[in-house]
Amino acid sequence: MNNQSSQKEFQELANWTLDQAKKAGANDSRVNISRRRFVEINYRDRSPEVIKEATTQGLYLEVFINNRFAGKSTPDFRKSTMTGFITELIDNARIMEEDPFRTLPDPKYYAGRTETDLQLADPSQSGLTPEKRHEMVKEVENACLKKGGSRVISVEAGEYDETYEEYVKSSNGFVGANQTTQCWTGASMTAQDEGERRPAGYHWVGSRYRSDLPDLDEVGNTAAVRTLDLLGGKKIASEILPIIIENRITPNVLGGLLNPMSGRSIQQKRSFLSDKKGELLGSKLLTVQDDPFLLRGLGSNYYDGDGFPTKKRELITNGTLNDFLIDWYYSRKLGWEPTSGSTTNIIIPSGNRSLETIIKDLGRCILITEFIGGNSNSTTGDFSVGIIGKLFDKGQFVQNIAEMNIADNHLKFWKKLVEVANDPWEYSQFRIPSLVFDGVMVAGI
Amino acid sequence: MKPISRRKFIKDTAIAGSLLFLPGLEASMSLDSKQSSNYFLKEFGIDEALCQKLLAKALSKGGDFADLYFEYSVSNYLGLEDAKVNQSYGDISLGVGIRTVKGDRIGYGFTQVLTPESMLSAASTASTLCNLNASPVSKTFQKLKTADYYHVPPEFNGIPAKEKLPLLQTVNQKCFSLSPEVVKVIAGFSNQVKRIMIVSSDGIIAEDLIPSGFLAASVVAERNGKREQASWNLGGRRDFSFYTDKVITEIADKAVNNALTLFEANQPPAGEMPVVLGPGITGILLHEAIGHGMEADFNRKKISTYTSMIGKKVAEPFITIVDDGTNMNLAGSINVDDEGIPGKKTILVENGILTSYIHDKISAKHYGVEPTGNGRRQDFQNYPIPRMRNTFMLAGSANPDDVIREAGNGIYIEDVSNGQVKIGEGDFAFYVSKGRLIENGKLTSPIKDVNIMGNGPKMLTNITMVANDLDMYYGGAGQCGKNGQGVPVSFGLPTCLVKSLTVGGTQQKGGQS
Repeated sequence: MNNQSSQKEFQELANWTLDQAKKAGANDSRVNISRRRFVEINYRDRSPEVIKEATTQGLYLEVFINNRFAGKSTPDFRKSTMTGFITELIDNARIMEEDPFRTLPDPKYYAGRTETDLQLADPSQSGLTPEKRHEMVKEVENACLKKGGSRVISVEAGEYDETYEEYVKSSNGFVGANQTTQCWTGASMTAQDEGERRPAGYHWVGSRYRSDLPDLDEVGNTAAVRTLDLLGGKKIASEILPIIIENRITPNVLGGLLNPMSGRSIQQKRSFLSDKKGELLGSKLLTVQDDPFLLRGLGSNYYDGDGFPTKKRELITNGTLNDFLIDWYYSRKLGWEPTSGSTTNIIIPSGNRSLETIIKDLGRCILITEFIGGNSNSTTGDFSVGIIGKLFDKGQFVQNIAEMNIADNHLKFWKKLVEVANDPWEYSQFRIPSLVFDGVMVAGI
Repeated sequence: MKPISRRKFIKDTAIAGSLLFLPGLEASMSLDSKQSSNYFLKEFGIDEALCQKLLAKALSKGGDFADLYFEYSVSNYLGLEDAKVNQSYGDISLGVGIRTVKGDRIGYGFTQVLTPESMLSAASTASTLCNLNASPVSKTFQKLKTADYYHVPPEFNGIPAKEKLPLLQTVNQKCFSLSPEVVKVIAGFSNQVKRIMIVSSDGIIAEDLIPSGFLAASVVAERNGKREQASWNLGGRRDFSFYTDKVITEIADKAVNNALTLFEANQPPAGEMPVVLGPGITGILLHEAIGHGMEADFNRKKISTYTSMIGKKVAEPFITIVDDGTNMNLAGSINVDDEGIPGKKTILVENGILTSYIHDKISAKHYGVEPTGNGRRQDFQNYPIPRMRNTFMLAGSANPDDVIREAGNGIYIEDVSNGQVKIGEGDFAFYVSKGRLIENGKLTSPIKDVNIMGNGPKMLTNITMVANDLDMYYGGAGQCGKNGQGVPVSFGLPTCLVKSLTVGGTQQKGGQS
């Protein structure tokens, strides 16, 4: 089904659903209808291991009856079953307790959506044939096997692409439609190490447009290099030293700072940041932007979950907390203005120096390339997480690191940020460069 | 897309900032009683002739076997915040997944529309795996008889929202009544009723009605300007009768007491030290550090650290580890797995010797053994893979106090929230949300928010004492993630001593900052 016919089908179904909800007793309602078509191909050791292809669809309906609320989703679009679905949802809402803050957003907040084409759907994606997909995977796999050489125990390479479309409508005037595509490829390799150790490394990249993917040979090659870099990983004695968090894994730690910014965390007293607006959270190098308008960005969007137009904003500027992530419901509970409860593309502006140059200047330091396990306490700001990486001394590689851990409190940790590299990770909605921290306790032996 | 080399376990009582509970939905379509079979025939007209046609299409280009996995599930979540039950979420899942298998390879298609045309199209997608002559489908089908490990009453259709609402109010009231320091309570009731039917080209039909759910409380307490948060849940594969006043009281007590204890807690010193795992929920370590590495798909691909260890010593002789689908009402119990193999009990490590991997049909054929009933999947959109069920270590003979005394100086772990393992290396990490220091063989000050690191095979050989107090995790919120699929699991452990693990604190041993 092409995009135009889907949108027409979705519009008709949305109008019918909102009308039925109203007839069944809803004061207000909002419906989100979506369809996703995807293909997934995995090769292992030069043969297709998994071929998977399907289309999924869903309709999610929220109803509001005198400040009572219920939401529900179904894959079944038949009107014959939708009628019962809506009636039961209304019944559920009626038995909820009245909550004066449960309403659709004030429609005045719907205005001001960007008219820029964010280029979120690749028009050439429909021309991706099964043969092309297999060729992509083979190329990635070949490169990985070649680079991995005699150390290879197993290589899995894959390709995944999807087309997603949605239509959203509320009874108080919000209408949104969107179509996006994604294409991912990469490889995971397992290598023979000492004894029974078989380290596994990977490299996966994805983008909205297939043409934005890097050279496939390079993808496979990098997967092998990253695996070989894990060989001989061992822990060292516990020590306080500089660490570098590699660009691609920075969201794991930054998430511990972003989650407590949510309206829910703040209103429910589960945020160590609730009284920190305007205060210094980190070093002057910490600036965190939320930019929904990056062309082809994986996090780019026209509207948020409430239907508010997305806006570019700076959550943290030179270490100072500027803004929280407040959606409509919690804005009402807090008595604050809504700011949008969701993030889009999270960006930390790049520094000037390359990772290699920084490592040369740091003396003894650990480059963290993977995190394992761990958690972050949004109420207290304490976190603790396992690390895997490489130990350097004045730019010289010393050994690979495994079975070690870092722990701190976010209110102390981000003040230790001493440099931001010039290498933002492109294949994520987190466009963050590698980050350098000084004086971090790394636990080992 | 995520790399495949890591497996995660996330308990729903995790302390991380975002919401603690899975969204769910209210029942929309009544489900038949468990005792009455042929649900998909009655509701959707799925008869043997149609199944045969679909399987024939899936095997039209060859293959060792094919199977159909029909699913209809209704999930619900009812939530309380600020003393009001003000959130009701629901989800309906309906569809069929069709798999063609050739050797270790899989072709997979699925559809949410149970019309013959749509299902034939999914079968055709699965068949593209092969390019051979058609393979045969059994002419007749035999219904699999299964045990009943869930005790769902015949009339069970899920738990109506109006029954759950007062439960949540009671949880809220009890939490606030336990301490004036409690300032916020979130309570949630999640439950799901899933109806499945598996039809295999070798002539087996299996059906099941699977309940799951949990009642949870998450509290925030405040003392002298400091806040702490803790959660607890109970549930599993149970009906409404489980959620008695006693259960509600236990949930509230645990959540509140854990939060209050944390005011006195600190992060422990960093470095290697003896670790005593308390009974019950700490079985997550067994799941992470050892269980995943014994899943046979990793071993047949030679990417697990246990690849060449069958028949070899992996632990002291007093250690026996079991993965069991037959425990009554636990979250990981299954009457039948998602490939049509009955739920079983599998001994993984017997008296210190690795005796079996955790198998699905593909790996069982690869190794020439019987499937162990561990072929599980999240839903019809995913193909089954070897997954744990309820994994635990049998009780030993030591007194728990003696285990703590033997540790000397180290840490004692009471509650954990999540863990992760790297299969090939065996390296694992898990997050301790509550515990105590052990000083001179005695439990002293509380600790919190610390990660424990180690290597699974090494840790197993480092377990030097096992106590006589095996306990299981009775929560229903535990989800194990693998290859992007979450399935409910449980686990258990007696108190045991691990000679040495890395503790990820913020201070060096000896108190030097």
